[in-house]
Amino acid sequence: MEIIMTGLASILFGAGIYNLLQKQLLRIVVGTVLVSHGAHLYFLTMAQLKRGAPPLVVDGVTEYTDPLPQALVLTAIVIAFGVTSFLLVLAYRTYTVNETDNMEELRGSDHE
Amino acid sequence: MIYAVFAPLIFAVLIPFLSRWKEKVHTGWLILPVPFAIFLYFLLHVGPNFEPHMQSVNWIPSLDISLSFYLDGLSLLFALLISGIGTLVVLYSIYYLNHKEQLGHFYTYLYIFMTAMLGVVLSDNVFALYAFWEFTSISSFLLIGYWHYRERSRYGALKSMLITILGGFSLLAGILLLTIVTGTTSIREMVGQADVIVDSHYFPFILTFLLLGAFTKSAQFPFHIWLPDAMEAPTPVSAYLHSATMVKAGIYLMARFSPIFAGDPNFFFILSLFGIVTLVWGSYMAVRQTDLKGILAYSTISQLGMIMAMLGFGTDVALFAAVFHILNHATFKGSLFMVAGIVDHETGTRDIRKLGGLMTFMPISFTLMIFGTFSMAGVPLPFLNGFYSKEMFFDATLVNSATSPFLEAFVVALPILAVVGSIFTFIYSMYLFFGTFTGKYKEEELPQKPHEAPKMMLLPPFILVLGVITIGLFPEVFNQSLITHAADAVFGAENNQDIYFWHGLVPAFYMSIAVVVLGILLYLTKSKWEGIYSVLPGRLSFNRVYDWLIEMIEKVSNKITTSYMTGSLRFYMVLLLTAIFAITLGVLLKTNGINFEVTDVAPITTQELIVATIMAIAAIATIFVHNRIAVILIVGVVGYGLAILFVFYRAPDLALTQLIVETVTVVLFMLCFYHLPNLKKSTTPLFTKGINIIISVGFGLLLMVIGVSAYNSRAFDSISEYFIENADPLAGGYNMVNVILVDFRGIDTLFEVAVLFGAALAIIAMIKLRRDKGAK
Amino acid sequence: MNNLIFLPIVLPLIASVVAAFFPKKLNISRRFAQITSVLLTIMTAALTWHVFMNGTIVVQSGGWDAPFGISIVGDGLSMLLVLTTYIVSTAAVFYAPSALDKQQESFYFYAFYFLLISGVAGAFMTGDLFNLFVFFEVLLIASYGLIVLGNGKIQLRESMKYVLFNLFSSMLFVVSIAFIYAVTGTVNFAQLAERVEFVEQQGILSTLAIVLFFVFAVKAAIFPLYYWLPNSYVVPNAVVSALFGALLTKVGVYSILRVFTLIFVHDTGVTHQIFIYLAMFTMLFGVIGALSTNNVKLIITYNIIPAVGFMLMGIGLYSEEAIAGSVYYLMHDMVIKGALFFLIGALIVAAGTKDLRQMSGVIQKFPLLGWLFFIASLILAGVPPFSGFIGKILLLRSGLAQEEFLLVIVALISSLLILFSMMRIFIRGFWGELMENISDDRKRVRNLTIPGVILVSISIFLGVGAEAVYPHVETIANMLVDRTDYISSVLKE
Repeated sequence: MEIIMTGLASILFGAGIYNLLQKQLLRIVVGTVLVSHGAHLYFLTMAQLKRGAPPLVVDGVTEYTDPLPQALVLTAIVIAFGVTSFLLVLAYRTYTVNETDNMEELRGSDHE
Repeated sequence: MIYAVFAPLIFAVLIPFLSRWKEKVHTGWLILPVPFAIFLYFLLHVGPNFEPHMQSVNWIPSLDISLSFYLDGLSLLFALLISGIGTLVVLYSIYYLNHKEQLGHFYTYLYIFMTAMLGVVLSDNVFALYAFWEFTSISSFLLIGYWHYRERSRYGALKSMLITILGGFSLLAGILLLTIVTGTTSIREMVGQADVIVDSHYFPFILTFLLLGAFTKSAQFPFHIWLPDAMEAPTPVSAYLHSATMVKAGIYLMARFSPIFAGDPNFFFILSLFGIVTLVWGSYMAVRQTDLKGILAYSTISQLGMIMAMLGFGTDVALFAAVFHILNHATFKGSLFMVAGIVDHETGTRDIRKLGGLMTFMPISFTLMIFGTFSMAGVPLPFLNGFYSKEMFFDATLVNSATSPFLEAFVVALPILAVVGSIFTFIYSMYLFFGTFTGKYKEEELPQKPHEAPKMMLLPPFILVLGVITIGLFPEVFNQSLITHAADAVFGAENNQDIYFWHGLVPAFYMSIAVVVLGILLYLTKSKWEGIYSVLPGRLSFNRVYDWLIEMIEKVSNKITTSYMTGSLRFYMVLLLTAIFAITLGVLLKTNGINFEVTDVAPITTQELIVATIMAIAAIATIFVHNRIAVILIVGVVGYGLAILFVFYRAPDLALTQLIVETVTVVLFMLCFYHLPNLKKSTTPLFTKGINIIISVGFGLLLMVIGVSAYNSRAFDSISEYFIENADPLAGGYNMVNVILVDFRGIDTLFEVAVLFGAALAIIAMIKLRRDKGAK
Repeated sequence: MNNLIFLPIVLPLIASVVAAFFPKKLNISRRFAQITSVLLTIMTAALTWHVFMNGTIVVQSGGWDAPFGISIVGDGLSMLLVLTTYIVSTAAVFYAPSALDKQQESFYFYAFYFLLISGVAGAFMTGDLFNLFVFFEVLLIASYGLIVLGNGKIQLRESMKYVLFNLFSSMLFVVSIAFIYAVTGTVNFAQLAERVEFVEQQGILSTLAIVLFFVFAVKAAIFPLYYWLPNSYVVPNAVVSALFGALLTKVGVYSILRVFTLIFVHDTGVTHQIFIYLAMFTMLFGVIGALSTNNVKLIITYNIIPAVGFMLMGIGLYSEEAIAGSVYYLMHDMVIKGALFFLIGALIVAAGTKDLRQMSGVIQKFPLLGWLFFIASLILAGVPPFSGFIGKILLLRSGLAQEEFLLVIVALISSLLILFSMMRIFIRGFWGELMENISDDRKRVRNLTIPGVILVSISIFLGVGAEAVYPHVETIANMLVDRTDYISSVLKE
């Protein structure tokens, strides 16, 4: 199953990259979201899946799923959320100020 | 000695404060005693019984860098030139430069140079030497650019800096290699290990690097091109830096290291080859110049070539003559520059075509010039020092063939080239003298009415001419007390030569005669053969190479940079991903990282498969769907799918968090993109699409391979056992993930909150601050 | 005493929150930021001194022993860089009031400023790979806030690219941590070092190392991953550019230095050799960029890149001398880049334009600025006896000792071209006839010049007074190559 999950994460990553390579802001932002989903899935998968009970201490249970990656991924998810919300607002502002959502029209090598 | 070296620097710092009184007293007077005191200090060492000595102060001992000053004959000769001519130049500049100029700057640069140059010739530590060396280049740059509002000054300054600093960096590489090979930073200790250096396989590099450093500094062909443009500097500077001292730093370097390189015949060959070519080319080009200082600049180049060639011959006579000529050249060339400056100052032009017949207006300058030019031309008169060293030079070109295994042709050509160069030297010397002071007086062409310069301004060149004559009349006095010590230092052993005026009817004498006779003939017929300059150099000039290079550097860099810095996000991403992909793949293959031996995996279940399939389809679908709401929802599907997977994989906290985050994100998406235009059908060309597909698929596959290999390469148990065991007993919590977050790894969480805080602030700032709405 | 080592990370975070409370009261927030920065700098200096004298300090956060908790490691390298960070940013906080307009200042400039410092200090001091990611995000979010500050049209455009690049590399960071965790089962630096050594960095590990390298290389602006840098550093205010130029790329370089001297050092023939090649291209392309433009600020920005090349060169050569060179160069470059951005900001104010073709003769009206810029250029090019020289001789000598002649020649040529690019500004902008519409606001230009004076003085001291600093750097390099001090301090073995 880990192999399949790695594959799924790779598909998310690949699809994300494809979207990143597009012109329109929305697609690009969607790309980053997909990439971050992929990254989080990788992390969880790498720690082996389903090796024991959920990491909640229960008397008598000795086998638990690795809790560390879960904690790390949780942190990463929250951080990704913060950054993504920033990015969304940034994209919106970029659009309203520059009046285009096409990154290819936002090239420019002038510096004010 | 250390005070002597740093005294000018200290005054250089003080000068801006001194120049406050410049309305009353010319700044030059205030600081004139400094170089003079240094000169007297070094003069005390002169004498037949001179013994080298050393003085050392630690600077950065952990890098083996110290300020150790070693005074031997060679250093003493240079130190005397630097301080002596320095004194005269300061005196001269008091009359040359007007009150109203930025004298503070001028003297600051000049005194920085003085310290730097004294440092170069006295330092025994190679790094200290290098540091001083660079500072001579920098102060020279500033002095050339002194009148920086002139275009030509800026051009000349930049050119000299680029070429000399190029040489400086090369020198640095050379001395670094020397320290690697010998393990010491002291030149004297390096000389002691000469055979180690020559036998080292680094030797060719050492030689090349040091030669490049010396050739650029001492304006050897083809790096001579900066020197004529350096003439944009005020004349005192030209007299001082660009003829008497700084340009001899390269000569000094070669002289200093010649005991080391003596073991290698290539060294001598290269040195004499470049030297003789520079000699001929410099004197040939000098004849063509019309600017007084231009003539002198090329003349300096050719004289430097001559000294370099003599160092290259490597025989005792040649080395002796080289040292002797360093002194002679400084005296006569210094006086010539000063007189040229006086002519410029009093007539308002340096163009020799406009000058002429000044003899009656400026009789003293005229007299001084006779001695200078005739000494430079090597006219055989017993009171001209130039003749002595020139004759020794001729002598050296002949002796040479017996001692060294040079190429036959080169050996034969050497004396001939020497004579040819000297003939041109003779011609331009005569041209310089007669062109300025005799012939027709062209009043209408001169910007000012000429008259003799103030007495004090004539004093410095007068003293130098006095030097020319004294050395000419009493060469043995100078020999015994100074030159022979310097020659010893260069030769690395006792090097006693006697200086005679009359050698008898030896070949060198015939060569001198030939120079004079042919020189006079060619000078008189100069107008007949001048056409040759349109053939050679014609358009072939190293200046053009330099200009072309500078232009190309800017053009090509601009072309290269604009070719990839397009501002296109996609293009950057493509480059970035391709680079990461290619290099990572290379490493993966090279280190045999791939590991497909699948072991220890969880069983596959249908429900997981279904969710995974939906997620995969949804992810890919984002590419094809063009409705913005639909795309956002599809992304939501992926996110919620992930949450479900988290549930499957026994990560309830993650699932919960993911659920909340995904919901908020989707709402935010909706908010932000509701007003944005709908997605358009992709109009990208097929080619671009193809690249996009290749990159995203390739990158996905690469990560897949790495991920699977990493998974299969599990080499250790996770540290998590500790958390599982201790969450309850030590941290007092049942939810291990929570315990890790708030306790074991509390810092992560604290700063995760900091990220959210920062994001919130940034969002507020972005939304509220709308200062240039509409504007810009 | 030991717990004090947290303070350089935590106090600025607190300061950031405090500063966010009264953004509109500019007088108060300025004073607050300036006083706090100075005090923090003094405190950090004392801590650094303590570490230099008494050796590495390790604090296990929450009292959990490594590798289970997060270790905050104050070794010589970390403390040296944190101190440099504080010095540069303190200079920046005095520069800010004259450089920013009031609106920018009041929209949380000081809050972002402290958040940035907190993130940078944390990144320098953490002993945990995942925690490093968190601190990266902290400093990045602060930098996002700073870069869009003002919401200019072009600012937003370039911010978008900047954020996207960094976001992508952050995600790659998470992925590579995941992979490394899969193989080694840990994220603690010291334990990673032990475990990687135990399996001799076999199999997939070198590949993972390179992926991790690329994550840092994007932040450090190494060829061919620096495309985001030039434009995004040019658009924000000079004080922001100074902070970015001095701190951000250096965090990337530091991470490479740490990871590739502590953990992945068992296959240098592959990994470190790649660094050498990349270092060469980084120097060349950086300096080519610097020569390609007439925008003075862009020239300085491009000059960040070859400096990174120099540091990478030392890591690639991986000898004690080379590492010492890289560390020295790193410290030097933080100071001098800060100074140069300050000065160029002042120049732009003085000349009223960024275009070199429209400037001339500025030195006639602003001599102090001109001479500072000249000295700073020499420092940048590595002319002795200034700070750039010390790092450069160490790097070049170890390059020559390892017979990487091409590398050394490229390094020397790029030094020359760096000097050329700087002299273009000096000769064309400062020299020449005094331009017509030069600024009359002497007071503002002076205020913008003074922080530069301080940093340039420090830089001169780092060269002339190298004896006061270099022995410590030598010790640091020795410890980096030896590795046992770090590992045993953290793991208490």
